[in-house]
Amino acid sequence: MEEGEIFGFIGPNGAGKSTTIRTLLSLIYPTSGNAKIFGKDVTEFGPEIKQNIGYLPSEVFYYDNMRVKDLLKYSASFYKKDCTKRIHELAEILNLDLTKKITDLSLGNKKKVGIVQGLLHEPKLIILDEPTSGLDPLMQQRFFELLEEENKKGATILFSSHILSEVQRLCDRVAIIKEGRLVTVEKISTLKENNYKRFKIEAKDKLAKEYFAIDGINKLEINENTVSFLFKGDVNEVIKRLSTIQVTNLWVDEPDLEEIFIHYYEKEA
Amino acid sequence: MNMFLYELRASRKSTIVWTISLVSVLVLFMSLFPSFSKDVDEVNKLLEGFPEPVRKALGLEIGSLGSLLGYYSYSFTYLALAGAIQAMNLGTNILSKEVREKTADFLLTKPVTRTQIVKAKLLAAVTSLLITNLVFLGAAGLTATMVKTEAYDAKVFYMISITLFFIQLIFLAFGLLASVIIPRIKSVLAVSLGTVFAFFLIGMLASTGEDEVKRLFSPFKYFEANYIIEHSTYEISFLIVAISIIVVSVVTTFIIYRKKDIHTV
Repeated sequence: MEEGEIFGFIGPNGAGKSTTIRTLLSLIYPTSGNAKIFGKDVTEFGPEIKQNIGYLPSEVFYYDNMRVKDLLKYSASFYKKDCTKRIHELAEILNLDLTKKITDLSLGNKKKVGIVQGLLHEPKLIILDEPTSGLDPLMQQRFFELLEEENKKGATILFSSHILSEVQRLCDRVAIIKEGRLVTVEKISTLKENNYKRFKIEAKDKLAKEYFAIDGINKLEINENTVSFLFKGDVNEVIKRLSTIQVTNLWVDEPDLEEIFIHYYEKEA
Repeated sequence: MNMFLYELRASRKSTIVWTISLVSVLVLFMSLFPSFSKDVDEVNKLLEGFPEPVRKALGLEIGSLGSLLGYYSYSFTYLALAGAIQAMNLGTNILSKEVREKTADFLLTKPVTRTQIVKAKLLAAVTSLLITNLVFLGAAGLTATMVKTEAYDAKVFYMISITLFFIQLIFLAFGLLASVIIPRIKSVLAVSLGTVFAFFLIGMLASTGEDEVKRLFSPFKYFEANYIIEHSTYEISFLIVAISIIVVSVVTTFIIYRKKDIHTV
């Protein structure tokens, strides 16, 4: 990862995203190898490094009997700067009530506490582990804006997720991991070029296989008069071809992550 | 410092409840002393009816219940038991709660070392116990002067009372150690009550015989009130054992916790 970038980190559940992050935060220790942040070993210089890290876990749990305000104050007390102003700014942006008790908060609101808690000390590195679960689309949008703002101010962001669109929306580069191994690191722009669309077509008549002999079609499946395939390339090609048949229904989707992975597997094999 | 204060505040309620309970039991015991000492002959006769091993296991000695110190040492067995539970709860809970309540991700990603975390929590726990003991000592001294029938040795009285703190420190250390060794503690009470009662029972068995070695297996027997009454001093050998147990447990806790993996919730 380079300084100042927003780096996506995607992989299916159990691929090792959280494990990597927890190692970086020295919550767990590597059985072999090492990791460095800011050029320093994470195990050896843990506390020093963490002074400049903000972390938002995928599931947020805080001391239930505390008020939001007190929790954030406690959180701020670990850092060597006065964060009161930033806490109030962030709470305002996210529309978070500081006087409530943590127990009384909904999942989304707890998440907001997590966001404020992770950003209040204006960290140089922000680590986000599947941060958007529980946030409504509006808040998600605001949260992304907040991250982009922090990024402009110079913060580096590590964004872990299994939702491709989130990563695409925000990140410059992305690492794809599977079963604990790094499959590839790509620029989002490259990934988009490689972007597959999933087509599903229902036609009036039975369709012949030859009909879909277009370059860039993958995984063609024909079942009576429904057809599905993955397509990479100029979408117009497909549309032109489709215009000659009687279509009763048409779906065009982004393929899910699993399919992208299949793509990367094929590449490796 | 912030962690220390936070932990102190977090255990405030339980410290208050335990302190009040201990003092209540103390007052209850002490308030019965005047009637005991008045009918001491009948009490002794009653005790003679028990077989000797039973008397010894319960810590009842014929003739001792008539004096304030003797009566107090008998009551103290049960006060120590309650105190041990408080300390063991505190010790078992203070580190394991972060994992159980899933707040470890919060605390451990802050710019602090694991050592600092254990240190702050340990200090907070010791402070809580210290507060309990100060209140207890005050209450004990006060009730003793209120119920006394004749003069008693105040120094010995306080020496016995302070052993509550020693016993609590031992069980606090046990609790800490248990919390880093047992992978996932679902119920603190199960662990602490189990351990404390096991040691208490061992202590009862140990007192039935004359064997000094047996006493080593129960911290409840390290500070025998009879010995303190007789010699106005603690048994140095057992004091050393107690200190060693505390030091070894605490140091082991630090070492294990520093290297412990904190897994996802």
